[in-house]
Amino acid sequence: MSANRITVKLDRVRKSFGDFTAVKDLSLTIRAGRVFGLLGPNGAGKTTTIRMMVNITAPDSGSVEVFGRRIDSELQNRIGYLPEERGLYRRMKVVDQLRFFAELKNVRGKVFTSRIDEWLARVKLSEWKNKRSMELSKGMQQKIQFVTAVLHDPELLILDEPFSGLDPINAELLKEIVIDLKRKGKTIIFSTHQMEVAEKICDDICLINRAEKVFEGSLRELKSSFGRNSIAVRCEGGDGVLDDPALVSKVVRHADEAQALLAEGASAQTLLRRLIDSGATIEKFEMVEPSLNDIFITKVTEHQ
Amino acid sequence: MRKFLAVVKREYLQRVRAKMFIVSTVLLPAVMSLFGIVPALILNIEAGGPLRIAVIDQTGKMYAPLEAAFLTEESDEAEQQASPEPGTENPTRRGRSRMGSRSFQLTEVKVDGRSIEEVKAELERKLRAKQLDGYVTLPADFMTTARAEFFSNNPGDMLSHTILVSSLSRALREQRLVEANVSQETRRDLFKRVNLAVVKLGATGEERDSGESFVLVFGVGFIMYLAILMYGQVILGAVIEEKETRIAEILFSSVKPFTLMMGKLVGVSLVALTQLCIWATAFAAFALYGVNLLLSRGVPARIPNVPFSQYVYFLLFFLLGYFLYATIYALVGSMVTTAQEGGQLAMPIILILVVSFYLFLPVSRSPDSSFSFWVSILPFTAPVAMLVRIVTQTPPFWQIALSLLIGFGTVLLIMWFASRVYRVGMLMYGKRASIPEAWRWVRQA
Repeated sequence: MSANRITVKLDRVRKSFGDFTAVKDLSLTIRAGRVFGLLGPNGAGKTTTIRMMVNITAPDSGSVEVFGRRIDSELQNRIGYLPEERGLYRRMKVVDQLRFFAELKNVRGKVFTSRIDEWLARVKLSEWKNKRSMELSKGMQQKIQFVTAVLHDPELLILDEPFSGLDPINAELLKEIVIDLKRKGKTIIFSTHQMEVAEKICDDICLINRAEKVFEGSLRELKSSFGRNSIAVRCEGGDGVLDDPALVSKVVRHADEAQALLAEGASAQTLLRRLIDSGATIEKFEMVEPSLNDIFITKVTEHQ
Repeated sequence: MRKFLAVVKREYLQRVRAKMFIVSTVLLPAVMSLFGIVPALILNIEAGGPLRIAVIDQTGKMYAPLEAAFLTEESDEAEQQASPEPGTENPTRRGRSRMGSRSFQLTEVKVDGRSIEEVKAELERKLRAKQLDGYVTLPADFMTTARAEFFSNNPGDMLSHTILVSSLSRALREQRLVEANVSQETRRDLFKRVNLAVVKLGATGEERDSGESFVLVFGVGFIMYLAILMYGQVILGAVIEEKETRIAEILFSSVKPFTLMMGKLVGVSLVALTQLCIWATAFAAFALYGVNLLLSRGVPARIPNVPFSQYVYFLLFFLLGYFLYATIYALVGSMVTTAQEGGQLAMPIILILVVSFYLFLPVSRSPDSSFSFWVSILPFTAPVAMLVRIVTQTPPFWQIALSLLIGFGTVLLIMWFASRVYRVGMLMYGKRASIPEAWRWVRQA
């Protein structure tokens, strides 16, 4: 699939509820076949933005285009959406439930029955096919909800906090499925505030804060723009050096090592020399890329 | 359309398959027939033999008419209804006892020169020995004073007492008329009941019985009320279901709120109709059995004679009424977040329906007045009011059509309104909408 094709395009989209502006003149371009991370703190406007993409709410102004067309109810059939606010019919059998959700996407027929079995096998829930969903554990329900979003083979998959509450094994399982879907050329939008997850699977990201866009671009680009000004240090002694504001703007101490963000104008070499001079025993001194988490915090703080 | 059908199918199957539905569907006719049959059986139990009553007739002429009065007592009511033609004597002189009452066995006790106290004392003895159940004394001046005395072992037997009083009264009346030289024919004619046949001339001059139609309108109204009472809450629950289970957002990424709401309304309504149809079949079978039973007992009963077109109207206005009130429940459901809240909000709605029943009288009295016209056009009173007009003085077809059009239009409008409230309400979690808020949401969505 051509990397230049655009799946979703938002143009100066604005949405407010009463006096509260949830999304403020947001423009976005999401390319086909990419994993796009929509990141931001709680209440930034992520969910509202997504709802406009799937035609649940209409923007007050601006335009939302999906697959090159203004979004409408027919395009909904080509989108898979797993909202953060999600549930299942408690008393309905898993298989009936999946069939119902797929029927709402205009999918039915023989092929589709076998597809349900395939997906249940893939999320390792085949033996739960004829159970009512109230009998399933929360994690199992979450996997079923995931299946409802992908069952109709959508070209665009939108996942809002898909892994929250899942144990690492199941989270990994779903992550692999997402990566596999990307390989098959599907476009995936990810909304999360779990930066570690986003860091691992996103190609492009958009940071939004307080209804406004803070950054949009490829993850790689964002990271390199920040440069390697973060240093992982493990040493004994030399405590005072890391707390010198002329050298280090911020230090985060973990169990046995510290993450130091260099102050402006300071170089890694100076820091290393100062540590040696102070008589510290250095076990580790490594220049690292800033984590998305750090970038996120920096950007959001700057923006405020 | 396919999505709509998918919603309908889900709502319908989920509910019809539920154990509660199956149980309640089967149970109601069973309970109804139980209530219908058991009391009849109990009342028919004749505890003990006939009531043995002795009569001391000091007037010397009352015993014969009294006996005659007792014998006609039982068949009296049936006779008055069954034979409007005068002079048809009921052939069963001894007759079956009326439901629940005992038959009587009268004996005359002659004084034969003994003192009245002596006779009484003897009867008292028989009473105690259970050879007698009671005795009546008619004093010599009974013809003028109409005072008699009844001595009984069991003064609590109200039913027998009542029959005794009415028999005595009729015997006295009869005897007084005889003494006034009134001929037998005249006497019979005097007590002939008026037989008022209510006949209505339709537009084409056909005759029909509007009394029976009234009963049917009441029946339709009652079933409507019942259906709304039972299923309004179900619709409310169905609308709230996705809010409580948090499925709403997933659904709205696939289906328009209006389609979803209509699907729910229709799905639940089909469940209601399924249940009503099963009940109606059971009831019809029961009623047919009852009609046959009455016919075999000589009581005239028949299927109401109502033109077919009226049955069509009954059905249409039943559906209209049902949907009008059901949609209100859907609207309430779209505004609240839990079923309990909804139940409270929905109560006033039922009141509108109850009030519309009171329109029965004014509308049936003057079905052509402008008042009647307006209440039969206004959506929430139309179902009952228009049916009353149809059975009394069928209004022009355009009025019926207009009433239906406005009614079903209102249903769609409310559903549209509800779906907008629902969509916005869903986006603001856990918040119950006030009416002005709901109105703002509708414009906002």
